[in-house]
Amino acid sequence: MSLKKFSELFIDLDSCNSKNKKIGILQNYFYSNEALENSWTIYLLTGKKNKRFISGRSLKSLFSEIYEYPLWLIDSCYLKVGDSAEVITLLLRNMIPGKNIKYQDVSLDELLNKSFPELSILKEDDKKLRVKEIWENIPIENLLVINKILTGTFRVGVSIGLITKSIAKLINLDEAIISHRLMGDFIPSEESYKLLIDKKINPSELNYKPYPFLLANTFEKRIIDKSINDFQFEWKWDGIRIQLIKRSGKVSIWTRGQDLVNKSFPELVEQISSIKDNFVIDGELLVWDFKQNLPLNFSLLQKRMNRKAPSRSIQKSLPIIFIAYDLLEINGEDQRDSILEIRRNTLEKHLYNWLSESKEELSNIFKISDLIYPKNWEEVETFKKNSRDNGTEGLVIKNKKSIYTPGRKKGLWWKYKVDPMQLDAVLIYAKGGSGIRAGLYTDYSFALWKDGELIKFASAYSGLNNTEIKELDRWIRKNTIERFGPVRSVRPEMVFEISFENIQISKRHKSGIAVRFPRITKWRKDKLIKDADTLENAQKLMLNK
Amino acid sequence: MTEGITDLIKYTSSGLYCEVADVWIDPNKPVKRAIITHAHMDHFTLGCNEYISTYETAVIIKERIGKEINIKTYDYEKEFKINGIKISFHPSGHILGSSQIKFSFAEEIWLITGDYKRQKDETCKEYEIVKTDYLISESTFGLPIFKWDEPQKTATDITKWVNSSQEKTSILFCYSLGKAQRLLNEISKTNFINNIYTHSSIYRMNNCYKKLGIDILETKKLEQTKNNTDFKGSLILLPPALNKSSSLKNFKDIQTGFASGWMSIRALRKRSGYDKGFSISDHADWIAILRTIKESKAKNVFFHHGDSESLNKYLKEKNSINVLEFEYKK
Repeated sequence: MSLKKFSELFIDLDSCNSKNKKIGILQNYFYSNEALENSWTIYLLTGKKNKRFISGRSLKSLFSEIYEYPLWLIDSCYLKVGDSAEVITLLLRNMIPGKNIKYQDVSLDELLNKSFPELSILKEDDKKLRVKEIWENIPIENLLVINKILTGTFRVGVSIGLITKSIAKLINLDEAIISHRLMGDFIPSEESYKLLIDKKINPSELNYKPYPFLLANTFEKRIIDKSINDFQFEWKWDGIRIQLIKRSGKVSIWTRGQDLVNKSFPELVEQISSIKDNFVIDGELLVWDFKQNLPLNFSLLQKRMNRKAPSRSIQKSLPIIFIAYDLLEINGEDQRDSILEIRRNTLEKHLYNWLSESKEELSNIFKISDLIYPKNWEEVETFKKNSRDNGTEGLVIKNKKSIYTPGRKKGLWWKYKVDPMQLDAVLIYAKGGSGIRAGLYTDYSFALWKDGELIKFASAYSGLNNTEIKELDRWIRKNTIERFGPVRSVRPEMVFEISFENIQISKRHKSGIAVRFPRITKWRKDKLIKDADTLENAQKLMLNK
Repeated sequence: MTEGITDLIKYTSSGLYCEVADVWIDPNKPVKRAIITHAHMDHFTLGCNEYISTYETAVIIKERIGKEINIKTYDYEKEFKINGIKISFHPSGHILGSSQIKFSFAEEIWLITGDYKRQKDETCKEYEIVKTDYLISESTFGLPIFKWDEPQKTATDITKWVNSSQEKTSILFCYSLGKAQRLLNEISKTNFINNIYTHSSIYRMNNCYKKLGIDILETKKLEQTKNNTDFKGSLILLPPALNKSSSLKNFKDIQTGFASGWMSIRALRKRSGYDKGFSISDHADWIAILRTIKESKAKNVFFHHGDSESLNKYLKEKNSINVLEFEYKK
């Protein structure tokens, strides 16, 4: 029985800031708990796609109806707390009498496999009764966990990396294996957990899974002390990193976020199926403009990705390409321990064969990442500076002698991104944050000048440090012009330097432009609002890129 | 008040003000005459010509500011008169010496609660229910998400937190006056076995409480420990201002906690950067505020300090009492 245990685990992890201690806590938990419960624990703590049984909104209205409680008051509380599950848990303490009920512990399996799924088939009134029953029959200290599971919002600062480390320690097995076993969909069951902690490695067990990705570090100045010939240079594309897998004749496309996206890209699956060999290739997916030979905006790629089973006309209007970076496996043989130079050679050789043996369509969709050959480090700078010309966001520099290992290990790959575009803009709106930023105004909207008027052009919520956030929050409260629900318009007085990766025409926005990854890079207290940039300046950036 | 002329207590830029008695309550600027509800420094301003408070409050204030001031003291319940207005102090249960202030004038009673709590606290007198016509209540924690645990539960959690990390030094941040003494009192009733060290600001207040007849658990003054003292397994109480200060570097391998009512909210707990938050407050929670309004039999209520929007709206919807908002007057 273990909701209680899981709840204790949640509290322990939540009140601990040390990674090592967290690993220890998890290790103990897994050691002392049943396999099935452990599998659900891993699902809950790592699941980015946890099932949501009840939305935050409906949880609040259920509470409001069950206890005849004003909804506006729940909303006021939400502004302070920033999490529906927690608000309801805090409010429940006013509703539930002391400890006079016989509480029973339940298993996570019972809750997640039975009680909660059943909620969705109930009619509103029965649902109310059932939720009330759940709330009133579970010890108050476990209710936060219950409500968080119900709303599918489990975030306690436990990454999949910590789970991997604690399991690896628990059974004394290499992390890479555990991390590989955890790739893809982890479906909770006694078997899946037992397989995860099996000390014996069955060579075929990982067959249907992608490998953990190798991630690039940020460029380090010190590598320019080394010879330019030690490195391989490629463009850094702004698409979706994926692993293209063909094993036993079956194709699967896995994103770095571990989503299987075959359904979104049927044309790629079809073309790849025609290749005779089996393989695992690391690469990038992009939506391509074949006329200009440039990638299309990232938002269009997202649009493609969100469309399951896209029609022929969408496939035609938003055509995709796959750019191969690296070969990880060929016909069942793991290549990751070979050095990059060799992997690249093998990749080129095979690709050449595949393209020459098949129809033209394959070569349209399946490309290889072009290598760049700067003669010296000065030329690297020039390449980087010009990277926007071909629609890339900089360079990726790879150590030719590196093997392919999971994660962001030092000394293997580096990303060398082009300097962001920047504009100085005026703060005009602020909105209350949620989660850990609840109760503070942390979501900001910025404007640029156009004919003496300030036009909103971007929203950003990252880039300020905690002290600045608090200072700005105080300022916002004192300088509010109007309030619309959680949003305040503020006196146009504060200027910020906003950095972003790309700028594009957009019909959806009043400003006519849309920027990618906007973030605050400086609070320009030295500037007056008349010194802020104009929309014209933004348009110039667009033309010059 | 609707007419705006007969308000006995008004809100001014210097704080609450009784015009007829010509006296300010907890003014935030130097004024002629100030009544002080309690000795927390955000309720006290130096430079007034004349102060009035309870005896305990006067003793603590003088200890804190380290000098003499012109302060007149009255016992709880003892009525005194200024310009024909009858005034008296009544225990508010916030900290030692803290009081509500009752004003009676022409058959009308006004009560200023000051900071108060309704929970048990052995280091000060319990809140006294005072009947009134007009109630000015604090509303620092004026939302129903605030509901305090029994202080013994929080103290037990603290003890567990320290005892289960014997290899570490546990540093608990808390306000030097009131909160620290209440925590020590509650901790003394748990099975706490280790050493407790207190920062000089807390140590001084402990002594002050003892002088006023309150039993406080014996602690060691942090500043008097030797350089090579091993703090492993002990509990150190520090004022919150010292969090992240360089003085923390003197301790190896620490875990930090903060004891405050705000710590019942996870986002605030996470943002504060302490390892652990202990929810315990010397203010009234939502239920206590509502209960106090009811028991005071007040027909009119004002809120002062903190989040009053929700309370105002809630009470107006319930229609049980006349909720007033201060008109701002210079």
